[in-house]
Amino acid sequence: LQMELQAVLMAAGGGSRMMDLTYNTPKPLLPVGNKPLIWYPLNLLERVGFEEVIVITTKEVQKMISTDPKVKLDVKMKLDLVCIQEDADMGTADALRHIQQKVKTDVLVVSCDLITDAALHEVVDLFRAHNATLSMLMSKAHEFTETVPGQKGKKKTGEQRDFVGVDGTGKRLLFMANEADLDEGVVIRKSIMRKHPRMHIKTGLVDAHLYCLKKSVVDFLADNKSISSIRGELVPYLVRKQFSKSTNSPKVIDETHQNLKKNDKIQISSRDEELLHLTQERSCWNDHRGDMSDAYHGGRLRCYVHIMDEGICYRVNTLAAYIEANRLAPKLFDEPAVHPSAVVSERCLIGADSIIGASCQISDKTSIKRSTIGVSTTVREKVKVTNSIIMHGVTIEEGCNIQGSVICSNAVIGRGADIKYCLVGSHSTAREHNSKIAPEKRLTECHRAEVNITYHYKSITYNNCHKVSK
Amino acid sequence: MSSRGGKQKKGNVTSEQEEEEQPLQAVLVADSFNRRFFPISKDQPRALLPLGNVAMIDYTLEFLTSTGVQETFVFCCWMSNKIKDHLLKSKWCRPTSPNVVHIITSDLYRSLGDVLRDVDAKNLVRNDFILVYGDVVSNIDVSQALQEHRHRRKVDKNISVMTMVFKESSPGHKTRCEEDDVIVAMDSKSKRVLHYQKTQGLKKLQFPMNIFQHGSDEFEIRHDLLDCHISICSPQVAELFTDNFDYQTRNDFVRGILVNEEILGNQIHLYVTQDGYGARVSNLQMYDSVSLDMVRRWVYPLTPEANFTDQQGQGCTHSRHNVYRGAEVSLGHGSQMEENVLIGRDTSIGANCHISNSVIGNNCTIGDNVVLDRAHMWNNVHVSSNVEIHQSVVCDGAVVKEAVRLNKQCVLAYNVVIGPNLSLPEGTVVSMHHPEEEEEDDDDEFLSDDQEVGHSKDKTRQKAFNPAEVGPEGKGYIWKASMNDTEDEELAQCLWGLVLNPDPESDSESEASEESQDRSRSVSPEIDDVNAFQLEVLGTLQRGLEENIVCDNLVLEINSLKYAYNITLKEVMQILTRVVLEYPFQQQGTQLTTLQYTGSLLPLLKTWSPVFKNYIKRAQDHLDCLSAVEELFLEQDTHQTAMVKVLMKMYQLEILEEEAILKWFSTGATNDKSRQLRKNQGVRLGQICVWGKPSQNVKGYQFGHCGSLILLLQKETTLLIFSDGVQRKQTPCSQCHKKESCGMV
Repeated sequence: LQMELQAVLMAAGGGSRMMDLTYNTPKPLLPVGNKPLIWYPLNLLERVGFEEVIVITTKEVQKMISTDPKVKLDVKMKLDLVCIQEDADMGTADALRHIQQKVKTDVLVVSCDLITDAALHEVVDLFRAHNATLSMLMSKAHEFTETVPGQKGKKKTGEQRDFVGVDGTGKRLLFMANEADLDEGVVIRKSIMRKHPRMHIKTGLVDAHLYCLKKSVVDFLADNKSISSIRGELVPYLVRKQFSKSTNSPKVIDETHQNLKKNDKIQISSRDEELLHLTQERSCWNDHRGDMSDAYHGGRLRCYVHIMDEGICYRVNTLAAYIEANRLAPKLFDEPAVHPSAVVSERCLIGADSIIGASCQISDKTSIKRSTIGVSTTVREKVKVTNSIIMHGVTIEEGCNIQGSVICSNAVIGRGADIKYCLVGSHSTAREHNSKIAPEKRLTECHRAEVNITYHYKSITYNNCHKVSK
Repeated sequence: MSSRGGKQKKGNVTSEQEEEEQPLQAVLVADSFNRRFFPISKDQPRALLPLGNVAMIDYTLEFLTSTGVQETFVFCCWMSNKIKDHLLKSKWCRPTSPNVVHIITSDLYRSLGDVLRDVDAKNLVRNDFILVYGDVVSNIDVSQALQEHRHRRKVDKNISVMTMVFKESSPGHKTRCEEDDVIVAMDSKSKRVLHYQKTQGLKKLQFPMNIFQHGSDEFEIRHDLLDCHISICSPQVAELFTDNFDYQTRNDFVRGILVNEEILGNQIHLYVTQDGYGARVSNLQMYDSVSLDMVRRWVYPLTPEANFTDQQGQGCTHSRHNVYRGAEVSLGHGSQMEENVLIGRDTSIGANCHISNSVIGNNCTIGDNVVLDRAHMWNNVHVSSNVEIHQSVVCDGAVVKEAVRLNKQCVLAYNVVIGPNLSLPEGTVVSMHHPEEEEEDDDDEFLSDDQEVGHSKDKTRQKAFNPAEVGPEGKGYIWKASMNDTEDEELAQCLWGLVLNPDPESDSESEASEESQDRSRSVSPEIDDVNAFQLEVLGTLQRGLEENIVCDNLVLEINSLKYAYNITLKEVMQILTRVVLEYPFQQQGTQLTTLQYTGSLLPLLKTWSPVFKNYIKRAQDHLDCLSAVEELFLEQDTHQTAMVKVLMKMYQLEILEEEAILKWFSTGATNDKSRQLRKNQGVRLGQICVWGKPSQNVKGYQFGHCGSLILLLQKETTLLIFSDGVQRKQTPCSQCHKKESCGMV
């Protein structure tokens, strides 16, 4: 029995936009709501009924997934781990080309940093209904409300915007370009406007990096080695090619279609192709009004996008998104806020919006609000944790006050430390005092110089935008 | 009934705006300011042409009244008397009319801009007003748009000056006027127009980035809009027209406002209606479409049987398949009125006729076996038997004789007689006015009155009709599209306007070819610019000579050309030099002898020396000029001997410095030819030096074996100028003393 779609999870990215976090923990394994990041897309796929997924990742991640006891993926799907070389600098399209042999049907490509409660069938239904070459998921961009360690004030939106053009129904993808490439302004051919007379241009969208692609596109990638990134090159290329008939590339795609039909008659997708074509010919259904031309104006390459109006959709690729995702992650699944194996003193205050990981020890007179406490973390007496993310194996000594900070794995916070809006780096070899913030030291905006931290390897402390180095 | 509807809406409007008690005003421009309906509009202004047997201006006035307009200013220019007479007789000028119509006529209006400037000058409008043309047919309820407009003005302190009304209709809709095809970029939320462009003839639509930088994150690019030519304007619009004398049309205005948005801070918004109907009859194609839309009841409640003009005897009955019959219509045996047919009063139709999608006026007679399809017949038309008419307009009083066939898009203007036994080819226009007479009248086309038209009619009668064109009994002259292209290209397009062809540039185009076009385009214009600049410089100099223009002005002109064509200073100099040196050839042909050439060139050099001096200042300029001279004489190798005279003259006129000439001479011989040139000219160049340096007391000159120029100075010293430009004063070198090798003179 052949599946309709094969799922491919891209989990080889280095997380270059949040190096502070990914220095010791690879991005797919960063804890979000006490679960590794990769769990979220896997769960998304499992929820909609996938039984097998191809995970493209690095050796390091593979090792950690299979050996590290802390990484419990608790997924029932069969994971087909494919490793690529870390230093090969492969893009997502390269990775897809790498596994071309494994691709038997159309594919659903998901990025490992996607956290969403999107109804995946919306995207797939577009793909099915229009027999699309590409369908993808986008969402309205979220404003990050939390203060981000190491950033003063709100980050200016100086980034280049993406211009996404959709037709009147808001589904068909007509135009896609980044502001940086639009020196001469937005140029659209009149013939496109005649076919789709009402184009909505949206700029405030986030690409979820979730794509349904025809198998022929994967084959096309195999023939065109110059394309290395799905988002950067392949998608804009496909969007552009929707409206040019006489160029070679769609023909290439068509030809590969034909070849496939010849070579492998058993292919479900190819057999459908013929039937679909026939239905389209015989049907009086049309995708547009006005002129009397064929459905889709006879075009064979179609790109669609599902734009989420509401719901959660984050790509955890920056520190700000990471913090926001941690805040929202508990809402995505029903699990007790306090893990059964955690030892929590009765005389402490734990807010409903906090998560306490497995085998934690929380002592008396402690207050934890809007925070995530990782696995095997020890929190001693009279500690106050607000709006913070504490990763695994952290020790927080007595009387600490931690606010709006991220404490990475295995750090030790000395007695009476006052940490506000800081990022305390992680370490794994030095067992005793990884990032130790000395007793009675306040780590606030104005006391930058007094910070006394023992650094091993690379531990980074941000004190409201100031990188402290000694 | 319409007036009742108007009152109701008026009531709504007034209740919503508490303070603004003033009546809603409208400006109706009853002139098109173009000649798209020529020669029909030679006898009748466009606003009075019948559409569905009712003058077009009546539709416009009815539309205004039903949206609650209480005061309308009708501006007339061409044949204003006729319009005035018509309006005075109509229901609009009755004392009971809810809409007070003021008629303002002037022969001086040449454009919409003139009208609005007059509105401002006369201070006619006090509040927001509706601006329409006299040929707009619409049933749109603009009160919604008006409310939005007023709200915007209240909130944003008069930033929004205009709200344009559009109707949604997909491309290819036949009521869309191809010439008015627009593309609009707008802000989805505020409905603000960010970019407005006519798309006719464009392949690519370009939207500048700055329109996307207004903080909004959602924009719409719309090509599904039909311009209804209805605009809601603030009183500032009239002022803005006064301030900007270059605004002639609404298009100018919209573009101007959008471009100067940052400076003036004015904005334009749009209102899109989905279910209303609104169209402007801007050419015959549109006339055909709108007329049929009317019969098909798209403009409900303005339907033929409604008799909204409230005139006696205009009523008609409406039966299924949209067949309308006026009073006293007689229909012969076996005649069929298929669908969408309107027949005016007292019209009789013979037997076995076949009529579909047609409008027939009052008092027409139609013979037997006639086929009419999309025929638009006005009043008092006589059609004999066995006639076939397809998609054509037949004006008042025309006679179509036996067995005539009018193919698509024919026009029979007033009182024309055609036939018998003739088939008019597609697009034939026949008028009683001779096409040539029209050119004679060109000057006073706007100033004409009825008297003059009558007069010119007499004149044309004297010319004979061509029976081959209009038939043996025919009367009228064929108008050809090419006849009146003296005006300008746009008007020369046929009466019918552009035919709606389904996307001529459509799918066949490939991106690859486009890209290659782009590439070739990017290379060629540079060359073109330089060439064009050269021609312009030549023209400038020529004119300078003819009109005896001072050199300073020539310099000014060349400078402005330099910026216009984006030419570098170096290129200017080279081109200028080349143009001047080629000037004699240009004027007297290339057969000149060297003597004649120099004879005519040298005075020119003297005349233009200030021009040269203006451009040749730095040392490098001198060299550039010289290399241009060299280049030219390498091409004109028969005249090489003239070169030294040119250089000498330039030197004497102090255009070129001696050092530069020497330096040029000693350097830069890049190939054999130029080396040869230098050698040939070397001797003569020496002369220059001799003339040039009396102070150094040059006794003679010679050329070294190594190509250097040796000047023999007094006191037995020489100045050696080597080919690398180094000058050295020294006693003659031993080698160069040899007479044979050095070519000592």
